[in-house]
Amino acid sequence: MSAISADIGRDPQRALIEEQYGDAAQQREAATLGMWVFLVTEILFFGVLFAAYTLCRVQYPQAFAEASRRTDMLLGTIETAVLLTSSCLIALAVRSIKMDQRRSATWLLIATALLGASFLTMHGFEYYDEYTEHLIPGVNYLQAGPFARQMELFFCLYYFITGFHSLHVMVGVTLILVLAVRVAAGAFGPQRYTTLELTALYWHLVDIVWIFVYPAIYLVGRSG
Amino acid sequence: MIARTTTPRTTPLPRFLWVLAALLTLLCLSAGSALLKLGPFNTVINIGISVTKTLLVMLVFMHETEARALTRLTSALGFIWLSMLIALALLDVLTRVHVPAPW
Repeated sequence: MSAISADIGRDPQRALIEEQYGDAAQQREAATLGMWVFLVTEILFFGVLFAAYTLCRVQYPQAFAEASRRTDMLLGTIETAVLLTSSCLIALAVRSIKMDQRRSATWLLIATALLGASFLTMHGFEYYDEYTEHLIPGVNYLQAGPFARQMELFFCLYYFITGFHSLHVMVGVTLILVLAVRVAAGAFGPQRYTTLELTALYWHLVDIVWIFVYPAIYLVGRSG
Repeated sequence: MIARTTTPRTTPLPRFLWVLAALLTLLCLSAGSALLKLGPFNTVINIGISVTKTLLVMLVFMHETEARALTRLTSALGFIWLSMLIALALLDVLTRVHVPAPW
């Protein structure tokens, strides 16, 4: 029998640790590092869209200001507040599970998922309004004026950025709901919460992306 | 090999709540400042507020202060690469001289 197998036989905590790791802390650190490598690819995925946005905005500042004024600033601000709050709630859920408060962790996760779902609903209303205002390039775009063509660029980037972001929110909400069920079933505890912590990291990144989307999409040319 | 302690450290609850309050205040600040006529400073303020909010989320909610140096470096690299991507792309666009075809 190997030393590790013997270890597992003696210590039930050891059964939660893969054999290549010395202890739980090392395993968690490796998982966090791996998650960050994934999150960096996500940053660069959205980064390309932000780079395209920056270049177009530098070239067509007036058209981007005009187009931004057509978005719903109030709804965008509420959506940002909702995502920031959800980020705090999921951080509190991780804290609760570390303190072995499974009940509060479950409710905090459910509240986070509900805020994510409300974000998606509000964004759906925004898309609907833009459809009725003929602001969707390639589908329903009927704008006139000197900036109509360049505004189309803004709205193309707007739908790519917010569309991919909403897709990430959808994935996050699904993951969080699954985790809420698993936490309620007792699958996590103070010694076993890495999955929850990594999902929280993903959710925070979704929040960070929106932190930059908000001023880029909703706040341009508002003082004009 | 001596196994390190597995008792998880937790952030105090008030710290999370203060950070949330700060994030929401910064949100109001960015929305309010966008309505003022500040010229290019509107953009500068918005970027500054976004960076501050990101740092708050990363340092407190994502526990970057407690992370190992390698993890912190990896997370910072994402933003460094992104800054380079945008800066170099802008450099090209802003410095390119339009040369009309000679024919």
